[in-house]
Amino acid sequence: MKKEDRIASIVFFFLALAYLVLAFVTIPKPSVLQILGPEAFPKVIGLTMLVLSGLYIVQSFRSTGQEDDARAAIIGAEEKLTTRVDIRTMALMLALMLAYVFLFEPLGYPIATLLMFVTGIFILDRRHWKRDTIIAFIASFGFYFVFSLVLRVQLPAGPLKLLGL
Amino acid sequence: MWFIDNLIMGFSVALTPINLVYAFIGVFLGTIIGVLPGIGPMTGIALLIPITFGLPPTSAIILMAGIYYGAMYGGSTTSILVNAPGESSSVVTCFDGYAMAKQGRAGPALAAAAIGSFIAGTFATLVLMLIGPWVAAFALNFGPPEYFSLMLAGLTIVTSLAGRSLVKALLATTIGLAIGTIGIDLQSGVPRYTFGNPELLDGLEFLVVAIGLFALSEVLVNLADMRQAVQERLAIKGSLWLTREDWKRALPAFLRGTLSGFFVGGIAGAGAAVASFFSYGIEKKMAKHKDELGKGAIEGVAAPEAANNAAAGGALIHLLCLGIPGSGTTAIMLGALMMLGLQPGPLLFQQQPQFVWGLIASMYIGNVMLLVLNLPLVGMWVKILDIPLYLLVMFIILFSFLGVYTMNNSVQDLFLLLVFGVIGYLLRRLDIPASPIILGMVLGDLMEQALRQSLLISDGSLAIFVTRPFSVFFLILAAVSITNPYWKYIGVGLRRLFGRAAA
Repeated sequence: MKKEDRIASIVFFFLALAYLVLAFVTIPKPSVLQILGPEAFPKVIGLTMLVLSGLYIVQSFRSTGQEDDARAAIIGAEEKLTTRVDIRTMALMLALMLAYVFLFEPLGYPIATLLMFVTGIFILDRRHWKRDTIIAFIASFGFYFVFSLVLRVQLPAGPLKLLGL
Repeated sequence: MWFIDNLIMGFSVALTPINLVYAFIGVFLGTIIGVLPGIGPMTGIALLIPITFGLPPTSAIILMAGIYYGAMYGGSTTSILVNAPGESSSVVTCFDGYAMAKQGRAGPALAAAAIGSFIAGTFATLVLMLIGPWVAAFALNFGPPEYFSLMLAGLTIVTSLAGRSLVKALLATTIGLAIGTIGIDLQSGVPRYTFGNPELLDGLEFLVVAIGLFALSEVLVNLADMRQAVQERLAIKGSLWLTREDWKRALPAFLRGTLSGFFVGGIAGAGAAVASFFSYGIEKKMAKHKDELGKGAIEGVAAPEAANNAAAGGALIHLLCLGIPGSGTTAIMLGALMMLGLQPGPLLFQQQPQFVWGLIASMYIGNVMLLVLNLPLVGMWVKILDIPLYLLVMFIILFSFLGVYTMNNSVQDLFLLLVFGVIGYLLRRLDIPASPIILGMVLGDLMEQALRQSLLISDGSLAIFVTRPFSVFFLILAAVSITNPYWKYIGVGLRRLFGRAAA
């Protein structure tokens, strides 16, 4: 299997180990004896996860993946994702979404969403930016008003509150 | 007959103007989701759950079910005209559907897909109506041990059919179960894996995980081929109906597809994609013109499209009668219903008859709506493909964040959404299926409670699971479903042990 699988399998192994250790260490046992206390189920899951990630490690270093392909043909599994990664675009989009999370409340929903949408368009495809900016404007303010006025769902207004919107 | 009264009550619920509107919105959005490549029913339902928050449960399930089987209809359109399946359950339809369209027979292909979907959808609803109450009444006899074993069997069967590698799928299931343990333990009140974060006491929100894994991850997946040229699509030629000759060939295929899809995809819990592949395999063996399959035979469109709709309907039987999801999509629906304060299961037929029968009636109506929406208006659906991918991506981001925020007004949820979006993308890259994670997360709590109650009955002895016949039956099912790929090695091992004599 691929190198990604080897790294992932080892990561999973340590995650499973951490989960299992935490089950022993952090979950307090109740003072009254209980059948299947709060720590029992996590221990079983953690142990199973540890065994499976161990198997995953073994497979990722030894298997060729032919068996998986045979299985995939029977059950019609989705195609493997093989497209090349555009690291730059992906990093920009992740940074954009992270900024969106942090500006969601301070800027308010409509302004934060408008900025996110327009920036996203400029990252992905700026050929029709005029048309797309209008779409972004309609979408962000439209959803804000539909949600807050029609559906009565509270969305952060941000500075718009000063305008009485 | 006994179900007539119930059905009349169901139609009285489903035919109220507001529920008709929800059924229409559901099948309409479902068709769009089906047509759009990259957005499957799981993504669609997860994204649209927030719309259902304010609705009464009956309207909510009518909407979600409409999206579910609407997506099954819509998926075939792009398979036939563009050779790009809208979902994994329409991959098979490409083989013969696109070939037919190239020969100028796109019209009959689209008609066969829509009619097949209609026949199968109606059949599945009919069976749900006829056997659902019996299954539910039977399941009422189940105690906690049977339920635990049943859930275990449900988990392993879905897992054994998800993704390319069994180990990866099982690992995904345990990850889901592990995520489910975060938060306060229901019995002892002890916090687990919360790391002192008060917002985690209620556990990770199901919706955050579902939207992250299925919707936001699509954004990252699609970034790779963003600038791809618009795919060439074939014109709709030929009448949008079947000739007598077409009917003669398609009708048996409809029936074979419906039955195989219902039993394999629905009852056995294999899901719509497996059902469509399976029925194509049957056509290869049984169709009269099997040599034409793959080169534009109408059977190759009729059977798989019937199969995936029958499977979608069949999967609802598990959800409604047993409260156990039989697929990733129904797992999301179960999570959504639980968020609405409803616990699907055998008691549903007794306690909430207007809910169950309203849904059944709305499915009959929805199937008719879909037939009308999909045949005459097919040209309109194809135009959806004109929406550039990058705009679609931006709208997925917008809907994901909007949906998650409206749930709790929590910025931490938004952050977790982003985290699960990235995790979902990494899992896709690693070829680890995400639907077992959702299933494990939804069933985890229920399984723990059932396990506790069982052990309470038996005073701590695990023997209770193997001394009750139905529990044993489900456990055997579970064992068979995950070990059968390895059975062939038993023979090999025996031969090695006893020399080559046996061979």
